[in-house]
Amino acid sequence: MRTILLTLTTMLACLTQSLPAASPAPRNFKLTGSPSAPITIEVYTDYECPSCRNLYLAVLPDLTTQYVYTGRIQLLHRDFPLQMHKYTQLATKYANAAGKIGKYELVAQQIFATQSEWAATGSVDLAVAKILPNSDMARIREIVKSDAHLDDSVTADLAQGNRDGVNQTPTLVIVKGGKRQKIDGFVPFPILKSYLDQLLAQK
Amino acid sequence: MTNSRWKWLLLAGRVVLAGIFLAAGIAKLREPWAQFAASLYGFKLLPDGSLETVAKTLPWAEVALGLAVLSGIWLRWFALLASGVIALFLAVLIRSYAMGLQVDCGCFGSGEALGPMTIVRDSTMLVLGAAVTWGAFRSRKPAGL
Repeated sequence: MRTILLTLTTMLACLTQSLPAASPAPRNFKLTGSPSAPITIEVYTDYECPSCRNLYLAVLPDLTTQYVYTGRIQLLHRDFPLQMHKYTQLATKYANAAGKIGKYELVAQQIFATQSEWAATGSVDLAVAKILPNSDMARIREIVKSDAHLDDSVTADLAQGNRDGVNQTPTLVIVKGGKRQKIDGFVPFPILKSYLDQLLAQK
Repeated sequence: MTNSRWKWLLLAGRVVLAGIFLAAGIAKLREPWAQFAASLYGFKLLPDGSLETVAKTLPWAEVALGLAVLSGIWLRWFALLASGVIALFLAVLIRSYAMGLQVDCGCFGSGEALGPMTIVRDSTMLVLGAAVTWGAFRSRKPAGL
């Protein structure tokens, strides 16, 4: 009996040790694309902003497919929560907590997609829980609750946004050759595409 | 009022009217054309395919109209055209406001949300344009610089 228990314990220890460790989240999970891309687009958004939702769901997928994956653009998501939105800071915490476990894009997408649901009640947790396993949700909730540095990136983004003169969301800051150009408000993809193509064609 | 006072009054009005158009055009030209195109998109008025063309040409047209009014050449007609342009813009603003569209005016560059004060301001500009037009038609000779 003792031998059997020892064997089972040893097997259990081996199984536990053989499970792959969770992949660490990238250092900046809000940055996608090639570092050698000639243009970087910094996207300032507020998770409770309807125009930001439209940008995220209707424009960024095409932008990512046609420009980020082809190495022409690097995309940096910056948080710019507006005071007038009651639950945006909570949503931002959940998205950034998800980023710390490597699930940023998935959760950010879900938060924007379900904006109308949680914006009225603050039920961000419920919205995110629909797409993540319990284990991930437990980790995210713990990070939201206890990570004292979770909002550091938001503070930095707000500071940069103020330097860029951001006063509404969404705002795009297009960086090329060290020059930063700001475009306020929602930009439909055909316009953005044409503008980027012309910018990329310039030396 | 004496002819001399009318002349100076018309000149002042003309300079202000020209300044408005020059300021509007230059403010737009200082920003990426995509910014003005995005503002135009918000008004849900123009076909999407025309936004780039309008965004690239309208600011230059504003500058040209401002210079034309400032020069005093064919003042009656350029002042009338300027007033017509303001009236058109004002109609678009009123329509958009009535529809509840939350848009950036784009009038003098980005950053001005459409609101009642925008409409009041543009109405004032229309009154100025109409006054300059009336004064130009009233004058026996075009006012010169």
